[in-house]
Amino acid sequence: MTDTSATATAPVLTLSNVRKKYRGRDALKGISLQLFPGELLGFFGPNGAGKTTMIRCISGLLKPDSGKIIRHTVSENGMSSPVRLGLVPQNLAVYRDLTVQQNLEVFGRLEGVSGRNLKDRIAEVLEWAALNDRTRSLAKTLSGGMQRRLNIACGVLHRPNILLLDEPTVGVDPQSRERIYTMMEQLTALGAAVLITTHQLEEVETRCDRIVVIDHGGIVASGTLSELVQQTIGRLHRVILRFDRPCTGPLAPFVFDEPRTSATYAIESMKELPRVLAGLKQLDQEPSRIDVRSYGLQDVFLELTGRSLRE
Amino acid sequence: MILTILRIFCLRLRNNPLELLLVFVMPVVFFSIFAVIFSKGIATGSDTKLRVGWISSQQTPLGTELRAFLETNSSLECTSLVETPPSAGLDDATMAAEISAAQQSGQFDLIVRLPGDFPDDIANRTGRRPCVVSLVTDGQNPVPVAMVTSVVSGFFAQKQATVAVEQLLRLLPGTPNSPGPRDAGAAGELKSASAGSLCREPEYFDAVRTPADVFGSDDGSRFLPVDESGVTAVGTSSAIPERWVSSRPVLPPEDHASCSDQAKTGVLSGNADKAVSIVVENPQAASQENPRIAMYAAGIAVLFLLFSATGHAAALLEEAESGTLDRILVSRAGLFHIIGGKWLGILLLGCLQITVMFLWADAVFGIQLGRHVVGFCVMTFSTAAATASFAMLLATVCRSRAQLNAASVVIVLSMSAVGGSMIPRFAMSERMKDIGKWTFNAWALDGYQKVFWFQSPVSSLQMEVTVLLGSSVALGLLTLMLSGRWKRG
Repeated sequence: MTDTSATATAPVLTLSNVRKKYRGRDALKGISLQLFPGELLGFFGPNGAGKTTMIRCISGLLKPDSGKIIRHTVSENGMSSPVRLGLVPQNLAVYRDLTVQQNLEVFGRLEGVSGRNLKDRIAEVLEWAALNDRTRSLAKTLSGGMQRRLNIACGVLHRPNILLLDEPTVGVDPQSRERIYTMMEQLTALGAAVLITTHQLEEVETRCDRIVVIDHGGIVASGTLSELVQQTIGRLHRVILRFDRPCTGPLAPFVFDEPRTSATYAIESMKELPRVLAGLKQLDQEPSRIDVRSYGLQDVFLELTGRSLRE
Repeated sequence: MILTILRIFCLRLRNNPLELLLVFVMPVVFFSIFAVIFSKGIATGSDTKLRVGWISSQQTPLGTELRAFLETNSSLECTSLVETPPSAGLDDATMAAEISAAQQSGQFDLIVRLPGDFPDDIANRTGRRPCVVSLVTDGQNPVPVAMVTSVVSGFFAQKQATVAVEQLLRLLPGTPNSPGPRDAGAAGELKSASAGSLCREPEYFDAVRTPADVFGSDDGSRFLPVDESGVTAVGTSSAIPERWVSSRPVLPPEDHASCSDQAKTGVLSGNADKAVSIVVENPQAASQENPRIAMYAAGIAVLFLLFSATGHAAALLEEAESGTLDRILVSRAGLFHIIGGKWLGILLLGCLQITVMFLWADAVFGIQLGRHVVGFCVMTFSTAAATASFAMLLATVCRSRAQLNAASVVIVLSMSAVGGSMIPRFAMSERMKDIGKWTFNAWALDGYQKVFWFQSPVSSLQMEVTVLLGSSVALGLLTLMLSGRWKRG
C-alpha cells in the first residue's frame, strides 16, 4: 500500500516533550516517542488520558503549547520527500449519503490523487478492504464492519507513511475486527507506520509491535508486552492456589486474601512451579485447585494506572 | 407508569434549552413582530399617516388650496417633491423624473400631480372642462389611491358647493349683483333644482355667510352630508345636481382591488362635464405584467433561500461531529478551502433556487423575467452571496446541528417577518421598515422591486448590491476568522 521501504530504521515521526493544555487542564504532559516505518504502535490508556489529543497534535489539528513534533522525510524512488499522513477518526468520517466509490474518489482528490492514479488506487483499496462488490452502495447502507473498513480505506488511498487510527474497531464484530487488523498488518508489511489508539486489550496485546500506556497526559510505560510486564510486575506468571478450608499457618511468599481460602504468587518461569508445589506439600497445605495465569496487559495497565474510575 | 413517562417527557424538555426556546420564546417573538407590524402599520387606525408627495407644474391658487386641504387631513402627510417650482413651471420630463425618483425612494405612498393647465379657480375652468388631478401610484398599495381620491373629491365638492352657494346668494331677490333670469348654467340649474327648499328657509342665509359655516352647521348636510368621521360623502345631496360633484366617489373597501386594476390601465376616471377628473397613473403599468407576483416570488425565494442556505451550511457541523472535517483538514485542503468550497456551493444552489422560482413565476404568472434578466441576475447573485455568508457564519458560531436548527428557525423567520418576505414592507410603519433594513430580505426585496416593479436600470441597484455584497464579504471574513475553532476542537 505504500512505497516506503520497510527496512528503513530511521523514525518517520518524533515527538519531543510535547505539552498541551486543553480546556483548562493538562492534556499532554511532556510526551516523547518515536514511530518507525513498518511499526504497529498501540496507544493504550483510560478514557481522558490524552490519546485523542495526542493524535490531533500529531495530525496538525492542534498545535502543542511546547515541545516538537517532527515528521521526518522519507526516501522514495531515490528522492527525499515529506511523510504523508493519514487519519482515520474514531467516528465514521465518510459521507454517508455518497457511495463507496464516490467517497473514495473525493477523499483521494482531497489528498491530491487524481486521474488514472486515483482510479488504480481506488481499485486497489476496494480489494484490500474487501469492498469491491459494494462500490455503488451508499455508505449509510453498509454494515458497521463495512463502514469501518471504508473509513480506513479512505485514509490510505494516498499511501500514507504514517497512519493514525483512533479506535478503529469500536463496535464491530470479531470477523470485521480480524479483517481490519489484517489490513493493518498488510500496511505495516509494506513499510507504513501505524499508530492505533484503542481500549481493546487483546488487540494491543496480540497485534501491536510496541505498546505505549498513557495516563493523565503522560506516558507511564512503553515497550513490548513482556517488557511492560517486566517493568511493572517483574514476573511473567501468576500462581493461584485455592483451598477447601482456610489456611492456618504462614505460607510465604504466597499472598493470601481473606478468609485465607486462596493465595497468589508470581513466578518468573514455569520451571519454578514444581518447587513451589513441593514446598506446599511439606507444609501440609495442599491446595484443592491450582491455576497458573500469564500476566497480561490488563494487569500491567491496572498496576500502572490503578483501579479508580476515570472520565 | 404514565406518570413516569410524563416525568421523562418533562425532564427531557427541561434539559433541552433549544426546545424550550422554540416552544416558548419563538411564539412570543413572532407575536411581538406581527403585533408591532399590525399595530403601527396599515389599516390600524393608529397615527400612521399616508405619505403623499406633491408636485405641481405651476403654483395656482386652486392648487395651493388643494394642497392645504390635503395637509389639514389628519391621515395624510403631504410633502412637496419640488419645493419651489421655477416661474416658468415644471416641464413634463422634469416632473416625470422627480416622480420616478420619489417612487423609487420608497418614501411616498402616492404622489399627487397637477398638470400645467390646472386652473386658478374652479369657476374659471377652460371650456368647463374638469380640473385634472393625477394620482401617481406604484401600484403596490391600493389604499392610498382610494383614500386620496376621496379627499380630493371632497375638496372639489366643497369648492363647488361654495361656488354654488355664492351664486345662489347672488340670485336671491334683494342681493346686490343678483343675476337676472337670463343667467343660465350652473346657478340657474341649482336655482331650479333647489330654490323651493332654500326659499322656505330664508333665515338660513341670513345667519350664514361663509361656506365653512355653511358646511360646519347641521344644515350644511342638506348640501353635502358629512359623516361622523369627518369624511365628506359626495354625490348624495338632492340639492346639488349629481353631475356637478366629484367624478369619483369614495371607493368602498371592496373596490380597492378594482381600483388597482384600473390603475394599470392608466386613466381611472374622467368626465369633461364634471368639476374634477381624478386620473390614477401607474408609470410602470403600461410596460409590465404582474409585478406583484414578482415581489411575492422574491419574498418567498429569499425566505426559503435563507432556510436552505443554513441547512446546507449545517453540513459543516455534521462533518465536525463525525470527524470528517478533521480528516479533510489533515488532507491538502485547509480551512479556507473548506469554507470557500461550501460557500460557493451554497451560493450556486441559492442562485439556482431563486432562478427556478422566477422561471416558474414567469412561465405560469408571466412576470416578464426575460425583460429583466440583467437586473435579476445581479440581485440574485448578491442575495445568494449574502445568504451564503450568513449561513456559513451561523454554522461556524453554533456548536451543534440542533443548535443551528433552532437558531436558524428563530433568526430566519424573524428576518423574513421584519424584512418583508411575509408581510409587504409598504404595510409596515416607518420604524419597522428601518428595522427591516437590518435584514437581507429587505435589501433583496427592495432590489427586486426596483427591477420588476419600477423597471429601473441596473445602475439603480447600486445601494442594494453594495449592502448585500458588502455583507457577504464582511460575514465571510468573520466566518474565516471564527472558523479557527474547528481546528481547536
